[in-house]
Amino acid sequence: MKKIFFGSASLCLAAFLAACGGDDIATETAPAENGEGVSGTLDFYTSQPDADAQALVDAFKEQNPEVDVSIFRSGTEEVVSKIQAENQGGNIQADVLLVADSVTFENFKAEELLLAYESPEAEAIDEAFVDPDGTYAGTKIMATGLIVNTNEVTDLPTSWSILTDEATSGQAVMPSPLYSGAAAYNLGVMTRQDGLGWEFYESLRGNDITITQGNGAVLESVATGEKNYGMIVDYLAARAKSDGSPVELVYPEEGVPVITEPVGIMANTENEEAAKAFVDFILSEEGQQLASDLGYTPIREGIEAPEGLKTLDEMTILDAEAVELLETRDEDKAEFGQIFGQ
Amino acid sequence: MTAKQPMVEERKKRDSSFSLFFQKNSIYKVIGLLVIFVFFLLPVLRLVFLSFVDDGSLTLHYYTEILREPATWKTVQNTLVIVAGSTILALALGVLFSWIVAYVQLSGKRAMQLFIFLPFIIPSYITTLAWTQFFSASGPVNAMLSWLPGSLEAPNLYSIGGIILLLGISHYPLVYLFTVNVFRKIPRELEEAAATSGLSKKRALWKVVLPLALPGIASGGLIAFLSNLDNFGIPAFLGTPANIRVLSTYIYEQVVGFGPSAFSRAAVLSVILGVIALVGTVFQWFLLRRSRVNETNRSDSTPRIHLSAGKQKLLEISLWTFLLVTSLMPLITMGALSLISAYGVPFNLENLSLRNYEYVFLTDSKPLSALSNSLQLAFFTMLVCLVLGTAMAYLRFKHPDWSTKAAELFMTVPFALPGTVFALCMIFMWLEPVPGWNPGIYGTVWILFIAYATRFLVLQVRGSYTAFLQIDPSMEEAARTSGAVGWVKWRRILLPLLFPGILSGALLVFLMALTELTVSSLLWSSGSETVGVVIFGYEQAGYSTYSTAFSTVLVLAILLGGGLFMLLGKLWDRKVLKTK
Repeated sequence: MKKIFFGSASLCLAAFLAACGGDDIATETAPAENGEGVSGTLDFYTSQPDADAQALVDAFKEQNPEVDVSIFRSGTEEVVSKIQAENQGGNIQADVLLVADSVTFENFKAEELLLAYESPEAEAIDEAFVDPDGTYAGTKIMATGLIVNTNEVTDLPTSWSILTDEATSGQAVMPSPLYSGAAAYNLGVMTRQDGLGWEFYESLRGNDITITQGNGAVLESVATGEKNYGMIVDYLAARAKSDGSPVELVYPEEGVPVITEPVGIMANTENEEAAKAFVDFILSEEGQQLASDLGYTPIREGIEAPEGLKTLDEMTILDAEAVELLETRDEDKAEFGQIFGQ
Repeated sequence: MTAKQPMVEERKKRDSSFSLFFQKNSIYKVIGLLVIFVFFLLPVLRLVFLSFVDDGSLTLHYYTEILREPATWKTVQNTLVIVAGSTILALALGVLFSWIVAYVQLSGKRAMQLFIFLPFIIPSYITTLAWTQFFSASGPVNAMLSWLPGSLEAPNLYSIGGIILLLGISHYPLVYLFTVNVFRKIPRELEEAAATSGLSKKRALWKVVLPLALPGIASGGLIAFLSNLDNFGIPAFLGTPANIRVLSTYIYEQVVGFGPSAFSRAAVLSVILGVIALVGTVFQWFLLRRSRVNETNRSDSTPRIHLSAGKQKLLEISLWTFLLVTSLMPLITMGALSLISAYGVPFNLENLSLRNYEYVFLTDSKPLSALSNSLQLAFFTMLVCLVLGTAMAYLRFKHPDWSTKAAELFMTVPFALPGTVFALCMIFMWLEPVPGWNPGIYGTVWILFIAYATRFLVLQVRGSYTAFLQIDPSMEEAARTSGAVGWVKWRRILLPLLFPGILSGALLVFLMALTELTVSSLLWSSGSETVGVVIFGYEQAGYSTYSTAFSTVLVLAILLGGGLFMLLGKLWDRKVLKTK
């Protein structure tokens, strides 16, 4: 508390000195149209890659120089368990949370840990990706598609069925839903689709698919040619391709499950104003353009996807109710474990 | 009579002061134990508490539920097999190498020592990656096997055997570190005596040398055992594709699960893991119970066994082959990966560049500040552990009663738990040590420091304790009777004898803290990122080429530091030990 006090006191002093020092500086730090001069500190917990989270915070701070954002970045699972532990310990430290999938947010919402906030910026986002109660909103589109090694495979597949084709037996790889929340989300969605369902996963098992810990391992395995096909989150495959790896990303024709890296505000935040301004910025045109520049498909309508990725209206989305997915998450995982012999 | 009177008086006085001392002593004991309890056990108990609570009421149903599930028993069984196998492998390799390095005339021993350390300091995700490539369908092992007649195939590393192999290779340096100094200190005369009384060399090894080396073997074995038990990286990497669960990976699965029962279930499984760890600790006490030291020797690094030139060459070649495969191969794999521009491009000149290094050390500002943070954290953790751990080991050695034994058990617990679980315990404990009061430790670099110091202290305790065990108690008495007391006793007599053993412990603490990953990934905060956090971040973002570049530089720097350290050790030997 003291620190915050001294921090803001010194900020005020700095602003005062700057105002005395020269008029042009003062006008430059004047609040932008929606910033309304928010200030103070924000604890931002996220699972985005470090460089991306930093770029986001830097861009936000350009508009709101008086907010001091500190980032905690780790895997989605680590971030979630950290918040749960803080909750057990008596006091959640996070103000704003941005992690992989909506089911994670539904879980926090069910525990009443999230603040309802209907951002004006969320109006430009498809309502399927925004919580009707306003506790979270998607920030980008991450589809899970197929990655193919182009040294080994010349005929690019068009369907998920390539993974269950006998001709590809033992050649495919996928991330484990038991370790990765995003993979568990995909499991929930895909098993609810006509034409895929649990039979799809049983056939995957029958076709001797390899389970790895996460998406990174899928990329390594397919790029090095250890396996030829894999299920992977799109931006990793697109980026590896543009770096020169012999891989191709395919969006299967049946459709793709997407996670949206939602953002939400913790209910006990000590800086509600700054948290809201931050969420607004992430969903705003500028924030979405930034996401696209960093290599992700933006969620806001009217902003181009980066090279190698499809925009939202170019892909068929496989969907399921997040609330339902939350309820059955444990059963889904157990069923998966059963099929894959654990 | 008159002359005797004051003496009796004095003895009485001394007795009474003694008893007073003992009373005071037991107060100190209780206070000391209490402090240790608060720092080491209480955080864990806060987690264990969750396993007994459901919706605010006490319950055992998490226990009955989990103990009834077949998956639990399958997991426990896998864990026991894997931990036993890998600990035996680590012990066999560690004792063999330390005995050879201590006893046999070989050239290039110092370089050999550095290579023995490599598997321990190379991050486990690199080791597993290197080994799986080494054994993969297109890897060198299969290429070699295809030259041989018959249809031989490389063993599948994604199996229980593979996990045992990699854990054993990653942790045998621990055993080596604890035993090599012990071997060097075994008095030559005892072996000569064994020989003159007709024991063959082999019998002498079993009857004389190994029992005398038991303190080191037991300590090294215990630390290797605990490391095998709480390791997450290797069983997760190799076990996931093969559907093999061990306790550490199963606990992680629970922690990342949803709902209020996630932590409770993880807590129950952690208790099971804790019981296994305690059984191991008590088992090595039992082993050590019969170990007696009756002579004290200076560390003696001149070789005792001289082989014929041909045999020596043969031994050297086979040792180096082993070291090149187990140590250099992962390092080269890592170095090669760090030089290519993307995964899967052929390894030729056109695709090679220093771009990844440029990004890590010039573009991104995090790695360098992480390096500086980790170095400082590791250094201060080492210092604190060095003092506290050695003091604790001394007490444990001088007064091996219930209180010091309990203290040692408490200190073992944080090291035995998987990193993720321990980090959660730290959050429970230090966010609000007293409900409603946040002292501002959590969310700063201090939480990392406390976590490292409590997690790694046991390494120093074991290192120093092993050193104390090799000192004949008469040495201290002799020192006292010849007038050396207090600091003089320590500086002139005890420290020089203890130095190598204490140093091994300190080195271990330093290296562990420097490369720590799982605990840090939950406890770091803005401005206190560590080496492990940066590597984990790159890995998760799919930038393995960056993480390998960073790791390569780190490992080379550690090797360089190790080289310097050895030089200093040489100087110490010459200046401090010989000139006295």
